[in-house]
Amino acid sequence: MRLKRTSPSTPAMITEEPEAAAGARWTYGKRGYALAQSLRQLKLHKFASLLTLLVLGITLALPVMLLFASNALGQLGARSLEGETLTAYLHGAVSDLDGAALAERWAGREGIRDTRYISRDEALALFRENSDISEAIEALGNNPLPGAIMVFPDSNTLRSGRIETLADQLRQVESVERVQFDLRWIKRLQAVVSLIRLVGGLLAGFLTLTALLVIGNTIRLELLRRRTEMEVASLLGASRHFMNRPILYTGALYGFLGGVVASLIAILAFNAIRQPADDLSSLYESTFRLSLPSASQIGAVLAISLILGLFGALTSLYRPSHHLPHHGPNRG
Amino acid sequence: MIVFDQVNLEYLPGRFALQDVSFTLDAGSFTFLTGHSGAGKSSLLKLVARLERPSSGEIQVGNILYSRLKPRQEPALRQQMGIVFQDNQLLHDRSVFDNVAFPLIIGGYRYADIKTRVSAALTRVGLSDKAFERPQSLSGGEQQRIGIARAVVARPKLLLADEPTGNLDPDISAEIMQLLMTFNASGVTVLFATHDQSLLDTFAYPRLQLNKGRLTGLTTQPRSTTRVRSSRAASL
Repeated sequence: MRLKRTSPSTPAMITEEPEAAAGARWTYGKRGYALAQSLRQLKLHKFASLLTLLVLGITLALPVMLLFASNALGQLGARSLEGETLTAYLHGAVSDLDGAALAERWAGREGIRDTRYISRDEALALFRENSDISEAIEALGNNPLPGAIMVFPDSNTLRSGRIETLADQLRQVESVERVQFDLRWIKRLQAVVSLIRLVGGLLAGFLTLTALLVIGNTIRLELLRRRTEMEVASLLGASRHFMNRPILYTGALYGFLGGVVASLIAILAFNAIRQPADDLSSLYESTFRLSLPSASQIGAVLAISLILGLFGALTSLYRPSHHLPHHGPNRG
Repeated sequence: MIVFDQVNLEYLPGRFALQDVSFTLDAGSFTFLTGHSGAGKSSLLKLVARLERPSSGEIQVGNILYSRLKPRQEPALRQQMGIVFQDNQLLHDRSVFDNVAFPLIIGGYRYADIKTRVSAALTRVGLSDKAFERPQSLSGGEQQRIGIARAVVARPKLLLADEPTGNLDPDISAEIMQLLMTFNASGVTVLFATHDQSLLDTFAYPRLQLNKGRLTGLTTQPRSTTRVRSSRAASL
């Protein structure tokens, strides 16, 4: 058995020249029709659509801001670590020549980006320059300061927390008397950043779920509004895909436009807090700067929002209680 | 064209909308489906349009056996039929042109075909000058003609009309009837449900008569191509 559509070739009833169609040409294709109907519904119910978009935009704004800020927070953690060093103080008996050779050897080790040897004289000069008790040193008559090697760990070692292992390894070296470093404040900062990310992520998840529910509810109302159209379409032989398509497009439109509103709110909010954040950063002598979201970040937000809208529409269309038009027995 | 073989439609246990209905309508025929309100006319049309499924029995339209029809094939089947409803089932939020174009959009026709076919269908029903008006601004008779234009725009082989003159005055009813006869003359099989006695008296076409869900009679005319197959109905 094979079903064939009536041939769309020249119909017998053509009697005159075609007139201009009522709508734009693209609205007479299956997909064009669906998109035109979705846009039409938004336009027909302007106020309700605007309110829905605002609700979606505000709901999605926080997750969007967190997404935009996640890079900045990552940079904050990483940049705070940059320039951190370990200082290995050598025994007093180690000569500058040996100390410099040791520093050179360490520079090639795994986990170390660079080293710098500070000779005993250089250490004394630095002490004199920076200390209020330099005169006490003069009274001793000789230089009591040891040579030291400043070790610059590479970024992997800094981020992965292997810096303490490296310090232990350096302590094992015979010429080394003591290794000193202080990463406590950086660890605290990283812990705070992690907590912000976790709490933000949870909050973003809840708000995204809220947005999904808002879209789902809007689509449910849309289904009620379009019931007549769907019934007529069903009677005229429309497939389920044909009837569902405008609803899916409406969901995607709500998602996309909600993403646009959310991005605008996030950009405005970022712009407002940018200067105070930069001021705070400079107080800590940090190179960190809060930058506005990039085009790719905004693009990602719009794509995710669109998918979210589509998913919200799908959940409304395919939930068990939703039925397509049914033509029950009418005994007329 | 249409074959019903011992078809039953049970809507509640023991309660039948249609019972033991058998008949054959040949291609190109024009047949009245008559009976009082609640006799089962709409149910029978819904079975033909596959908007309902029989509880038992077999239905065949063209070379399609409904018992072998898969649900995903039903929309394509319906696209091959034209259906005219008593209450028009027009979409009042769009123009006359867009209402008539709707089956063609559903069928995936090209834009040029849509323009040509809709214009031709509207000319045929005498509404070419109202193409861009809204249906609610037109009279009941004009609205019914939009429904007919929509039903024939895709050139169906079968036209089902469910009391299309039910809400119209006699003159307009006669006009609608003339339109359907014109389409029948061009080879379209027409099954016309009505209980309008004046129409039945005026136009001499075969009738399938239903009473409480049973096919109780057949009135044949000289040009009849309708045959009742039920032993019960045939005996009446």
